[in-house]
Amino acid sequence: MNSNPILSLEGLCAGYGNGDVISDISFSLGRGEALCVVGQSGCGKSTLLKSILGVFDLPKITGGDIVFDSQRLSELSPRQRARLSSSGMGLIFQTPGAAFNPIRSYKKQFIETLKSRGTYDKSTFLPLIRDVFARLGLERYERILASCPYEMSGGMNQRIALALVMLMQQKLLLADEPTSALDAATRRTVADELISMRSDGLAQLIVTHDLALAAYIADRIAVMHRGRIVELAPARELLDAPLHPYTRALLKTAPRLGGALPTAAADTEVYSGQLIECSPGHYILKEVQHGRHTER
Amino acid sequence: MDGILSVKGLSKSYERAGHRINAVENVSFELRSGEILGVVGSSGSGKSTLLRLICGLEKPDAGHIYFDGRALSPERSISDKREMQMIFQDPAASFHPRRTIQSSIGDAFFSLMGRGAELDLDTLCLEVGLSPELAQHYPRSLSGGQCQRFAIARAIVSSPRVLLCDEITSALDVSSQAQILTLLSSLRKEKGVSMIFVSHDLAVVSTLCDRVIVMQSGAVVEEGKTEDIISAPQNEYTKELIASVMEI
Repeated sequence: MNSNPILSLEGLCAGYGNGDVISDISFSLGRGEALCVVGQSGCGKSTLLKSILGVFDLPKITGGDIVFDSQRLSELSPRQRARLSSSGMGLIFQTPGAAFNPIRSYKKQFIETLKSRGTYDKSTFLPLIRDVFARLGLERYERILASCPYEMSGGMNQRIALALVMLMQQKLLLADEPTSALDAATRRTVADELISMRSDGLAQLIVTHDLALAAYIADRIAVMHRGRIVELAPARELLDAPLHPYTRALLKTAPRLGGALPTAAADTEVYSGQLIECSPGHYILKEVQHGRHTER
Repeated sequence: MDGILSVKGLSKSYERAGHRINAVENVSFELRSGEILGVVGSSGSGKSTLLRLICGLEKPDAGHIYFDGRALSPERSISDKREMQMIFQDPAASFHPRRTIQSSIGDAFFSLMGRGAELDLDTLCLEVGLSPELAQHYPRSLSGGQCQRFAIARAIVSSPRVLLCDEITSALDVSSQAQILTLLSSLRKEKGVSMIFVSHDLAVVSTLCDRVIVMQSGAVVEEGKTEDIISAPQNEYTKELIASVMEI
């Protein structure tokens, strides 16, 4: 699906012991690309992120494989995998500030993090911070560094967490509902910062139920339903001309400024089949029968 | 439409880190009967404090609240509480985690309506679009959307004339959010319930509310019909809020 990807998922299945929560997930993510995974609560979006990160005990991967930065993760020991994840993948949580100790200054936490990666250099630390903070529009970096996370608003904490990801020069950002706890203006600021972070080649995999955020920042969008991707396409194409019935229903749930009351998407249907490329880069889940496929 | 709720010169300030913060400053407006009034603004603009003052959860430093033309005292009577109910942002946290939904709703009903009153839980559940069997569950075993619909069920258990909704859809996914908005719209249509709907999401507010109040730093900076506010905002802060909305 993507030449020279930083991340490829090949038929990934994972769960928590009572059957798979996500099934047969396949896609690739290029350097500097943003892929948003959208869907209702419980569709498996967060499980997908945890499976890729791989530093939690669960979920357990039950099938398929993940290739990150040309390394097949199933071939690595747990320790090697954890090291690769911590050096190459950054994680942004839904709760702003969850990445930080609330009562320890940002400066101490930034230094500890860089030291743990072996990249701390006292002479370049402050100039680097100043540069990264300036790129994210964070003013008065010295004052911020001296503060503790509990003193900052949710929006500021989320932006400082993004700064840490930039500082660590990671290759992949995994973000779990990064703007859902923020107000509209801060949400837009964080969205703009996510876009600007891509200029250095940082790939982003962002799971969200916020379709407007996905429309704003994503190069491509994957729609998940009950643990499976039902449609994957360039963002504008998916939003303007959705092919899968669930995608069409999901888009109707999004409130639009000055629009009519949104309608809820039915969640009773179960879709099966394989992801089939209908047009270049536009994939849809279809049932395959006797060598031909039919849309459900 | 006649005014059911009037707020006049309402103010509330807090002491924080040696500084006095005016959370709500000289706010006045009227909620008309059968109307859904949106209150928008950034975090910290005073929206939630305003609702808590109206509900009687906090006492104002100055100003008055009138319900049906009658001034409400800071200590609310049971009949005042029956008439006006509040719904909160976090659906699970608004229920006791170790009691069933049915038990929590029953507590609210009997405390408001008296021990001799009869609770028709089945009808109440159906009014919010949920199976009565789900009311036997604990909050943790329900989805956020189901919990929030039960929170609405609890709020309408005393047939209030005013509902105060504080960011009640912001913790929900888009589909659950759509269900809640549809439910609120039908409560207004079928029961004539008036509502104040606080949200930082202008897109959500614009689909549901008749009029909108815009708050900044505790004060009302603009008020008007929703379509006028969206299409022709006058205040600079309102313009910024509208410009920040991300559209599909």
